[in-house]
Amino acid sequence: MRAWNELQQSSFLGANARERAFGLVDKGTFTEFANPRDRISSPHLPVLKEAIEFDDGIVVGLGLIGKKPVFVISQEGRFIGGAVGEVGGAKMVYTIKLAIDLYDRMIAENPALPEEKRPAVIISFETGGVRLHESNAGLLAHAEVMDQFQNARGKVPIIGLIGSKVGCFGGMGFIAAATDVVIMSELGRLGLTGPEVIEQEMGKDEFDASNRAMVFRTTGGKHKYILGDCNFLVEDQIGAFRERTAEILALSMEELEKYRRIGSLELVEEQLKLVDLAVQLQPRDSKDVWKYFGNENPEGLPDMNFAEFMTTVKRRPENK
Amino acid sequence: MALNELKFEYKNEKSVSIKKEWSHLGVVGSGDMEVLMEKKDLGGAVQVKVVTPVTGFDKVWNLVLEKFIKSSNLGNVSIEINDNNATPVVVSMRLRQALAEANKVNGGEE
Repeated sequence: MRAWNELQQSSFLGANARERAFGLVDKGTFTEFANPRDRISSPHLPVLKEAIEFDDGIVVGLGLIGKKPVFVISQEGRFIGGAVGEVGGAKMVYTIKLAIDLYDRMIAENPALPEEKRPAVIISFETGGVRLHESNAGLLAHAEVMDQFQNARGKVPIIGLIGSKVGCFGGMGFIAAATDVVIMSELGRLGLTGPEVIEQEMGKDEFDASNRAMVFRTTGGKHKYILGDCNFLVEDQIGAFRERTAEILALSMEELEKYRRIGSLELVEEQLKLVDLAVQLQPRDSKDVWKYFGNENPEGLPDMNFAEFMTTVKRRPENK
Repeated sequence: MALNELKFEYKNEKSVSIKKEWSHLGVVGSGDMEVLMEKKDLGGAVQVKVVTPVTGFDKVWNLVLEKFIKSSNLGNVSIEINDNNATPVVVSMRLRQALAEANKVNGGEE
């Protein structure tokens, strides 16, 4: 693995799950749970003659950001597209559970525990959702992660990071939407049904998955930032993701809650307004939506570099 | 067990083990593999276990592994590989990378 200092300058997209996990917390603080040497791989894949991985495609562990214990979950897209099976799912679920248990224990010992020492969870998504080879177990894992999110609500902040090649789709798209804060790079992609699946189901006229520019205009970080599915856009660098995460985790749980996109009646109503808008506007392309939100020159947005984009872009007014 | 499991053992005359207790490298992507190396008292031998969906390439595995272990002069190491259709060139490269990783001191940090 590359050294921590080198990783900070390195592309988030180009790194593997373990490098991301290691580089997202303070130097030398990451300890992996159920590491490759523990050999906890999928029991289902060998039956199907599919290759296995010692970590089942998910790296989990604990590190520090400042004084804060940060539980890290990092998915590996190169292993079966980052799809979540029984073992990988269990690793996610129990890592969040550990964070909540630690919070409960620390608060029981010291109800006045400073915010800076309270545990948090960060999840680097790189997945298409359920691993179809072990579909029931994979689906159940998604439900259990949602359960843990509910248990963590108002106690342990959960930050979603999306800047990987695979992006975050399928059931995990729902999971990402249910986090407290989402940070993306413009290379990250977030959605429910993935581009290829839409094309397969609805035809090439509806959605041309080979049109890379269009796929990014519809699912990429810049669009999600304008629309508000993503709270913060950062450059494609592990260090940039880490610094933004550290800034957010310095906020109190109450302040953090304001970044949620779903999870209250007001937010449901706000989302419904977006549905109304879609019906009204009948957009043919994301650019129509960008223009509606006040971007005079929507054509220019996709090619702008990060700094230029951030100073030029106009987001949906309700966005936090 | 539906996956193909191959086991090999090699021995060098005057061998050296790895510096770390254990070390891991690689991702089991398509055409790729991961390597787990562990220091282990094997009376100077090197044991290799390969788990792969591919069948019929036992001799090629043996040639590639033997060449790597001879040239690296390894001993008292257990090597486990999870493979997903890696070619012999990729296997050789990953093994050398894994060895470099296993011999980094202080986890490669300055």
